[in-house]
Amino acid sequence: MIEEMEPAPKGTEYDFYFGPAHPGSGNFGVKLKIDGEIVVSARADPGYLHRGFEKLMEYRTPIQNAVLSDRLCILEPLNWNLVHAEAVDELMGIEVPERAKYIRVIMAELSRIQSHIIWYGVFSKGTGFDTGFKMAFGYRDYILDLFELITGGRVYPAGYICPGGVRRDFPDNAKMKILKVLDKMNKMIKLGELENPAMDARSKDVGVLKLKDAIRLGVTGPVLRGSGMNVDVRKEEPYEVYDRLDFEVPVRKKGDAYARYCIGIEEMKQSVKIVKQALEDLPDGDVIETSLKKPKLSYKIPEGEVYVRNEIARGEAAIYMVSNGNSTPYRVKVRGPDFLHMIPVLEHLLKGVQIADVPAVYWSLNICPADMDR
Amino acid sequence: MTKKEPNLLDEINSKFKTDGRIQREHRIWVSINVNKLIEICRWLKEKGFTHLSSISVTDWLEKGEYELTYHLWSYDNKMLVTVKTRINRNKPIVESVSPIWGESAQIHERELHELFGVKFKGNKDLLPLFLENWQGSAPFRKDFDWRDYVREEFYDKKNEREKVYYD
Repeated sequence: MIEEMEPAPKGTEYDFYFGPAHPGSGNFGVKLKIDGEIVVSARADPGYLHRGFEKLMEYRTPIQNAVLSDRLCILEPLNWNLVHAEAVDELMGIEVPERAKYIRVIMAELSRIQSHIIWYGVFSKGTGFDTGFKMAFGYRDYILDLFELITGGRVYPAGYICPGGVRRDFPDNAKMKILKVLDKMNKMIKLGELENPAMDARSKDVGVLKLKDAIRLGVTGPVLRGSGMNVDVRKEEPYEVYDRLDFEVPVRKKGDAYARYCIGIEEMKQSVKIVKQALEDLPDGDVIETSLKKPKLSYKIPEGEVYVRNEIARGEAAIYMVSNGNSTPYRVKVRGPDFLHMIPVLEHLLKGVQIADVPAVYWSLNICPADMDR
Repeated sequence: MTKKEPNLLDEINSKFKTDGRIQREHRIWVSINVNKLIEICRWLKEKGFTHLSSISVTDWLEKGEYELTYHLWSYDNKMLVTVKTRINRNKPIVESVSPIWGESAQIHERELHELFGVKFKGNKDLLPLFLENWQGSAPFRKDFDWRDYVREEFYDKKNEREKVYYD
């Protein structure tokens, strides 16, 4: 809500808008009250991307919703595809073929890598390191090329991961291309790891999130791991084939912006490791459940309710789906990690920081307004 | 399945006289009377369910009820307990759980207040989040049809090309 700006009571206090039209902030604003150079209080101003997905999904069949679920987050549509597909699979009792499970994991991890690359890019931009931003977006394009090859869409895969498996099999050259792109990603990770005095100075001891506060504020994912808690949905309740893959969960104790940035880089490494293993173990066979190979006209979801959690690049994503036996779900609740990260957490972290540190705090949280507003 | 789920479920069932069920590994569902909601929430928080994953409302239009679901995750036990309770749809007032889970509960309740019109007693900040200057009824209720709304607000019946939406 844009309210009237209040007149400053004394010379040093003023209101200040961060966003919603900043090139990196996304469609999201924060209203800051500033005294001199210190932020006194912050108030998040969401709603610029509210499209009402939960309601839209009540009017559509799962196959239509699979396409819709892309749009839940612009930066990682495949991960959201996966959450939605898993919810429908569980509700309908669909057995997903082994090969499809591996392909799902590969695509989800590639999506995580490109999302973390964007994170690195916008965080660099926020701390005044423009080279990092351009480098990141350049390297991200290699993965987008892969997505185009496999799913047909560069950014939005149009429901590639759908209920029952995935829409189509890998093309013959996909494995070779993925391995080549992973080499490029290793280069990107090395560049991201380089000691950068400017970025260190801007991010160390900035926006410290203590573990106790983090849990109370509902923080999940890399931000929580940056505050020193070893949690990861892929380890806690392994979905798809994560229990057969060997990877570590990076944890940092300090909870500042620098710790979160380190987590991002480490996670990219782990994701590269996961994709390599999954490619090696990739079995032959169908990629979609037999009865769903051809589009079904009478799609009926059995009565029931499920709550499916996934670890996406930003944290814990969940879908609560209720069905009363019709072809469309009765109620879908989408739980995005950024709903918590961008409202209570951001408001909490921005209190008392210098105005110059606002971008560093803001982008260290790995945020995406789309999955907050839904 | 480990022994944890049955053990916890037995404890809940005997303490709160409910008939909860285990759906699968890591998932327990419990329905409870709204009077006991705060009591069970406090008890579960002490049992280690420190992470409030989300709160949701399902609108059962025909029964005239709102079903509130609280999805609670325990990092220690690796379990998700969903507490369900029903309230009257026409007078949707319920006690807030924000004193128990803090800001994370507060923000979820703020969202539900806007989208479903549920009033959470004890929640200090229930200002609208997403919709600007919204005057109508809560938009996520089942009796609010956004198709009708769009037709009335944005389409012109006299317009040649937009007439089809009224057929």
